[in-house]
Amino acid sequence: MRVATDIGGTFTDLVSVDEQGKITIAKSHTTPPNFEQGVIDVIEKSGINAKEIETFIHGTTVIINALTERKGAKTGLITTKGFRDVLEIARGNRPDLFNIRYQKPAPFVPRYLRREVEERLNYKGEVVTPLNKEQIKDIIDYFKKENVEAIAVAYLHAYANPVHEQQTVEVIKELWPEVAVTASHEVTKEWREYERTSTCVLNSYVKPVASKYVDRLKSRLSEIGVEGHKYIMQSNGGTTTFAQSKVTPINMVESGPVAGVFGAAVLGKIVGEKNIIAFDIGGTTAKCSLIDNGEVKVTTEYKIEKTERTAGYPIKVPVVDIIEIGNGGGSIAWIDDAGSLKVGPQSAGALPGPVAYGRGGTEPTTTDASLITGRLSAKNFDNEVNLDKVKEAINEKVAKHFNMSVDEAALGIIRIANSNMLNALKLISVRRGYDPREFAMVAFGGGGPMHAAALAKELGVSKVIVPVAGSVFSAWGMLMTDLRSDFVQTYIKRFNEVDLDQLNNEWKTIEEEALAQYQNQGIEPDKVIFSRYADMRYLGQEHTVKVPVPNGKMDEETVKEVIRRFHDIHEQHYTFKLEEAQTEIVNLHLVAFGTVKKPELYKLDKVGGNAEEALKEIRPVLYEEEGWINTKVYDRAKLAAEVTIEGPAIVEEQSASTVVYPGQSVTVDHYGNLIIKTGV
Amino acid sequence: MTNQNINIDPFTLDIVKDSLIAIGDEMFYALARTSMSPIIYEVLDYASGLTDSKGNLLTQGNGVTGFIGLLTFMVKATLEKFNKEGDLKPGDIIIINDPYMGGGSHLSDVGLVMPIFYQGELVAFSANKAHWTEVGGKDPGSWTTDSTEIYQEGLQFPCVKLFEEGRINQSLVDIIAANVRFPDLSLGDMWAQVAALRTGERRFIELCDKYGKDVVLASIDRLLEHGEQITRKELAKLPKGTFEAVDYIDDDGLGNGPLKVQVKVTITDDKFTCDFTGSHPQVLGPVNTSYAALVSAVRTVFLAITNPSQDVNDGIFRPLEIIAEKGSIFSCERPAAVSTYWETMAYGTDLVWKALAPVVPHRLTAGHLLSVCAVIVAGVHHDTNEPFLIVEPSVGGWGAGQGKDGEAGQFCIGDGETFNVPVEVAETRYGIMVDEYSFRADGAGAGEYRGGSGVIRSYRAMTDNQMLTATFGRHKFLPWGFGGGKDGSRNEFEIIRANGEKVGPLGKCARLPLNKNDVVRLITATGGGYGDPLKRDPEKVAMDVKNEFITVEQAREDYGVIINPETFAVEGFTEERQRREK
Repeated sequence: MRVATDIGGTFTDLVSVDEQGKITIAKSHTTPPNFEQGVIDVIEKSGINAKEIETFIHGTTVIINALTERKGAKTGLITTKGFRDVLEIARGNRPDLFNIRYQKPAPFVPRYLRREVEERLNYKGEVVTPLNKEQIKDIIDYFKKENVEAIAVAYLHAYANPVHEQQTVEVIKELWPEVAVTASHEVTKEWREYERTSTCVLNSYVKPVASKYVDRLKSRLSEIGVEGHKYIMQSNGGTTTFAQSKVTPINMVESGPVAGVFGAAVLGKIVGEKNIIAFDIGGTTAKCSLIDNGEVKVTTEYKIEKTERTAGYPIKVPVVDIIEIGNGGGSIAWIDDAGSLKVGPQSAGALPGPVAYGRGGTEPTTTDASLITGRLSAKNFDNEVNLDKVKEAINEKVAKHFNMSVDEAALGIIRIANSNMLNALKLISVRRGYDPREFAMVAFGGGGPMHAAALAKELGVSKVIVPVAGSVFSAWGMLMTDLRSDFVQTYIKRFNEVDLDQLNNEWKTIEEEALAQYQNQGIEPDKVIFSRYADMRYLGQEHTVKVPVPNGKMDEETVKEVIRRFHDIHEQHYTFKLEEAQTEIVNLHLVAFGTVKKPELYKLDKVGGNAEEALKEIRPVLYEEEGWINTKVYDRAKLAAEVTIEGPAIVEEQSASTVVYPGQSVTVDHYGNLIIKTGV
Repeated sequence: MTNQNINIDPFTLDIVKDSLIAIGDEMFYALARTSMSPIIYEVLDYASGLTDSKGNLLTQGNGVTGFIGLLTFMVKATLEKFNKEGDLKPGDIIIINDPYMGGGSHLSDVGLVMPIFYQGELVAFSANKAHWTEVGGKDPGSWTTDSTEIYQEGLQFPCVKLFEEGRINQSLVDIIAANVRFPDLSLGDMWAQVAALRTGERRFIELCDKYGKDVVLASIDRLLEHGEQITRKELAKLPKGTFEAVDYIDDDGLGNGPLKVQVKVTITDDKFTCDFTGSHPQVLGPVNTSYAALVSAVRTVFLAITNPSQDVNDGIFRPLEIIAEKGSIFSCERPAAVSTYWETMAYGTDLVWKALAPVVPHRLTAGHLLSVCAVIVAGVHHDTNEPFLIVEPSVGGWGAGQGKDGEAGQFCIGDGETFNVPVEVAETRYGIMVDEYSFRADGAGAGEYRGGSGVIRSYRAMTDNQMLTATFGRHKFLPWGFGGGKDGSRNEFEIIRANGEKVGPLGKCARLPLNKNDVVRLITATGGGYGDPLKRDPEKVAMDVKNEFITVEQAREDYGVIINPETFAVEGFTEERQRREK
């Protein structure tokens, strides 16, 4: 049996799949600060026999929480002489252009804990000034005196040659074996000293927290008898072992959310769709990500706490490229200073939540608007809904202002929310040169199925897939993962001058490193699959595009092929190509998958039959174009495979509601997924 | 101004309005990602946006504040020149950089304007302006500190067609290629600009296809009106009256100066007037500012005062009036040299800022480094033997304000979403090594809230025959403190020759020769302080000492706090501080 657990803000989810492909779902409350308790709770609640767990996969918010709540270790930083302030100068940018009182993000290491040593490499990685080891000893004494718990070592040009960083770590380990330490080249081998230093510092900052958490989880799992393989979900869309996760915990920063995107890619393969827009609406945010030709997009441009107003902190590890906006079910509708209706990014959260929850919420939310327009049923809430209060809130806060009815105002809230989400969906698709008509949308999370059909139609997407287990889809995605390690090495070479032997050697070195790392984790070389990429650009440009590179030995022909691919991808993203211009490699990027056995999916027993058997009720629903229509509402659990329903219709399940518009239709496939034809 | 005869629900108008803003954003990022020049992709020294068919700005993506207002003037200049029916056609793109005729700042900032037609009718303009690394002229990098007339400063594009109905004017491209030092960079940027304009055109047409032209045009009215309403509400909250400030610009680069500049700001219920009358006449050196650039400078501080968060369009600026005498340093006339105009333009922002800081302290701080502290280093790379060119601004200290210390190591107000060039990138690409990139930590700008630290960046030349041009304003007149806070320190740079000989400190230089192992130390200002230093929380003073931002002596002299140099504990207060606290 394969089991995935995913810790979220409110709930810890579990999805398991047995040998027959049968899926079990359980939910239990998240239990901060001892998150492992919630994991144990949900396993017990699911009724799974712990001894039968062959593979346990885990997604956790422990890392991102430690970062955002500033609950990591007291960290000291060692830098090249003359450069200790790089961490605080950062890039000097001010996203909030017209704010004279802008506050730049405070560094995670204050100035007095940033110390310098004599050492210097040049950009080629050659030693210009040897490392002064005596100074490291003094720094260690100083850090001990200051009660430092973790050390980061970040030297200039360490991506080109890590020798001084390695020597420094050796000295630290010898003199102070118990302190947590990270050298920058261990977390990223890309150039740009501020970004690499920041990544290194944040890894050290969370290292003690991560170690404690993973160790506690491991021992609690042992106590209840879980003896199988244990993996942790990383931000790159793959997993790693518990042991490796403690070395570079920063790779877990987006552990949970990326699994849903990965799940969408896997589901796409199963149902025969290679191009997918993954779309996830939760309580406070909506997230989307684009899957091109079956591949989840991974970048190293990730930042925490970056907004339109503040610069945030860069973390240059591979993270699935997700766009997130403050628009979820709990997003609050409000009127701005000039009288325009806005939805979000403020959210009513879980408490007090939407007015409909009856927990004291007074601000109208998207969920309240969905209730008034008939998309949600009062019967589907856990509590007794006071509809008058919901109407009153929408009337007071929105309708009165525009001198319109509550119904019109509620529809307005949904339209504005959809407009926000549509802009996010365009950002990942049309704005990057992709034609949405060539994509299918996989919609999940509590709100995804409710908004997807309208948005897909607007975007020109003809097919929407609402998966089984859509409300715990991240955990479902984890069930389908392989181990994954990304190796990104800065390697700046003009393509027309590249020495092929040297380049082939470089690939070989990286691949050997990957194989060795997997060997250490008990994964044999025949289970390891490589995908190569090169980050390339035109000479003189800064930004790169990621180009797939064939495996095996590179020769003149493959180089030509790679350059051709680069021109095409550049043109797709940026509308032009410069075939005469020189091209340059900036990074070599190797993805190494450690493949593991994956479960088969269970097929519905019941095929065909009459949809009317699943009919729950008929209720009026308000649509943007057509107005109020009496709409049939179906129980998803009772629908058999191959059944087709014409819109308008609503398909309800315990924690979600799928809205099918007039002129659209929905079919149940053999796995139980809902396939909506959007009518475009 | 609302289009009353079209009955459209308010949500549709807002959805279209938001789509227009999104188009502006998309055009902006398209340009950054395709540019060939660090000045564009790292410094984001460009702006792009949409205007209506009359040239009113609808939406603008900005990397720097300095362009806020220039797009409108460019489009209006285009409309004036091509004023006959049929003069403008679909697919046309106009190129303009003339500082005196519209939207001009200096020749390096090249503007492109594209009319957008829908069903044969002119409905909008897509426009952008970007700093090209090279436009020719007497010195590499095109701008310099000792030009005396515009003809020395590069190629002038007097609002002419670069594209006619989608066909490029190859003769013009050939002229550009022949007149600039790095044609690949300049033409690469030109193509990136063209791609971004076409993106704007395509999206605008899609919007008209979807909602209908009339709805889109009604939304444009709504957008401008929305902006104006927000501004008027904020204006109502401001104190009314007249507020004045005077300051001095160091010199014009040729030894003339100091140059007196001044402003009188008058705020009424519905108007915000900035009158620069009485400021110095235009000068021989290249620090003259066009009226368009002055407008951008004032708009920047106007936004900071009224509402630093809003999307920008011309509606917002309807209550703003800016007066400057023609022929003055703030509104210069042909053929005044303008290539380092930003040194003066910044004073347009800073004077209004200084006049109003005491009355709107919740939005404004003490004075900051102010100058872009721009640097050019040209030479040959030590390994590749290829020529390189550094053109970059420097980070420095910002002023403290009510309830906050000044920020350390940030670009000046005229910049914005501007990124410094990483040391590792600089050392790979240029023929230099960086000896140091650290805080200046001079303890200037003392106050209850302390000014942010300036920064030292040192370039070591790796080959002979390099040359340095730099302009560090606020070299003679310091960033101002207020409310009892002390002034900050000055911007300066010096050269330490390989033989140990020192040149400087200087505020400006042009084409200063550098040879191998000469080191240029670029040192930027620490910002002004806010409030009485003797009132600063002693624990903060102790941490300032521990973090080596101030010394034990400064803690005692400036702040009246006695700090133990070993433990950094507060051990007592000076008599002066004790007296003050009574």
